Amino acid sequence: MTATAALTTAGTLGTLYVYGIAPEGVQTPRAPGVDGAAVRLLTEDGLCAAVSDAPESVRARRRDLMAHQAVLGELAAQGPVLPMRFAVLTPDAESLRGQLRTDRAHLMSQLDGVRGCVEMNVKGTVVPGCFADLVRRDDTLRTLARRTRERPGYEANVRLGEALAKGVAREARGAARVVLAHLAPLAVRTAQGPVDDEQVLSTSFLVRSADEQRFRQAVAAQARDVGDRLALGVTGPLPCYSFVEAPSATAGR
Amino acid sequence: MTVYSDEIVCSPRAGTLYDVLELILDRGMVIDVFVRVSLVGIEILKIDARIVVASVDTYLRFAEACNRLDLEHDTRSKTVPELFGGPVSRTIGKAGAKRTARSLTDKVRDVLTPDDDEGDDDADSRTEDAPRPVRKRRSDDDRPRPRRRKAEEE
Repeated sequence: MTATAALTTAGTLGTLYVYGIAPEGVQTPRAPGVDGAAVRLLTEDGLCAAVSDAPESVRARRRDLMAHQAVLGELAAQGPVLPMRFAVLTPDAESLRGQLRTDRAHLMSQLDGVRGCVEMNVKGTVVPGCFADLVRRDDTLRTLARRTRERPGYEANVRLGEALAKGVAREARGAARVVLAHLAPLAVRTAQGPVDDEQVLSTSFLVRSADEQRFRQAVAAQARDVGDRLALGVTGPLPCYSFVEAPSATAGR
Repeated sequence: MTVYSDEIVCSPRAGTLYDVLELILDRGMVIDVFVRVSLVGIEILKIDARIVVASVDTYLRFAEACNRLDLEHDTRSKTVPELFGGPVSRTIGKAGAKRTARSLTDKVRDVLTPDDDEGDDDADSRTEDAPRPVRKRRSDDDRPRPRRRKAEEE
């Protein structure tokens, strides 16, 4: 996963928690930051970073995750913003300013990349209810089901259940591909997230703010179409977490 | 709290904090000279969700439901709650079936979003003390769910 590190800097005097970077001129977010700290802006060369004093230790507490999100939400409401990942700290204001100067061109172009856009995240989870249809349609499964009835037992049940679970997941993955194909054309860009046997669709869409409603309607239509196989959920508008890239290749994901 | 209407399974769910957790934690920008604090608990939480998904319990539940199917006659009239029946459908009917459908990752979601209003800090103890608390949820599947409150009282 991501960089681990230097917990020692947390809580040291001057250490700042960084929320995100926006063009100069935005208003200071009013929402309290991580650990309830006041958020302020550091402006440098046309860019500004929303920061607050770093707490003694940063943990993924519900309240702090929400705070991170809320601060970014206020910035995003005013225009483009480059959201930082949760729990990013900078040793002091000077290093941050220096970084803003050094990376100015890159950061500006990243801001242009998300200007006027929001991130919409769509997740789809397997709906197990369709297994009955599946058993009727799929010869292999039906045979397995019959055999299990003839010679019932724990092992047989586990085998049957596993086959069903896999079948249901396969159906859901198929539905997920269909959904993706329908939604992708409505987005500027897409970014795939982690999927597993249960959550078979997890994709972020960079959508023009103007298209947000259209996108939602499309998701709702898809949800109706595939509802027997895949349960869809949509979250957004969000700051564009999935569509920003760090200045150097070594940093980001 | 997300509200589930009783009629349809297919309307998209509104997002919860859990739904964006991986975005907040794994996406977003990280700049070289900055430091990112490691957050151990969360990883464990995610892994746990993954393990439970492929559990024997799930398989047995599928098998049990399948064994109640009429394989010889194509009776398509059965509804999802009946098929996924047992205590769930008897006590809470459709909503229960839907919960089964939404299934396991939602349990983790619940851990992180006890309530969408003023939720306090329970993600804290959950994530920090990791594996223990998340364990329980499987056995809770069939109950209406008073158990969520436990977290807050700890």
